[in-house]
Amino acid sequence: MAEELDYREEYLEGSVNIYLKGELDIYSSEGFKEKLYNTADNTDADLKIHCDNLRYIDSTGLGIFVGALKRIKAKNKNIILINLKDNLKKLFIITGLDKVFIIEE
Amino acid sequence: MDNFDAIELKLPLKAEYVSIVRLTASGISNRIGFDIDSIEDIKIAIAEVCNKLITVGNAKEDYVKIIFKVFKDKLTVIFDSEDKSLKCIFSGSENEFGLSIINALMDEVDLCSDSYILSISKVIEGKS
Repeated sequence: MAEELDYREEYLEGSVNIYLKGELDIYSSEGFKEKLYNTADNTDADLKIHCDNLRYIDSTGLGIFVGALKRIKAKNKNIILINLKDNLKKLFIITGLDKVFIIEE
Repeated sequence: MDNFDAIELKLPLKAEYVSIVRLTASGISNRIGFDIDSIEDIKIAIAEVCNKLITVGNAKEDYVKIIFKVFKDKLTVIFDSEDKSLKCIFSGSENEFGLSIINALMDEVDLCSDSYILSISKVIEGKS
């Protein structure tokens, strides 16, 4: 079955840009978790996650973001979520994660 | 109000089929007349129930039966399984993201039923 989530990384001075496209659900989350944790563990920069083309996220995806944030915060770096769609931002508000992550337009 | 059509979907408790449940839920919600935001809410809430069943259930043996009750101004989604150990599946999950999302997005949530695993409902505001 085709991967429902497209994941692309771009390494810049001081930050890693991650571009997500598609649906982050319980099925696509396994591969995503491995990639994101691997990047969080092996980089010493902020992670900027671009969500312009992210159409769907559920609690599995939220949990992975939290796990990655713990890893990156241990190195005094941060995760910045950029251009979350309103229906996805709503889930961060419901779960209180809007106060945990830096969310930018 | 009490008249409804029922649409049933029975599928294995496997992660790869949750997207099919979301697509089905989307089509049925659209048919009832929910707006786009409500359809997204319904899709996510239903998927959160599926996620929990998949996490706790046995993928090799377990099936879930999902019954969509289509009312004029309401959708009720019932989850049932022959595996009765899945009853009250959200007990002790009060602090989990999944349950917070379901409670916030749906109008009626019955997490512990005698006759099936659980049911969730959403009503169209202002339509009667």
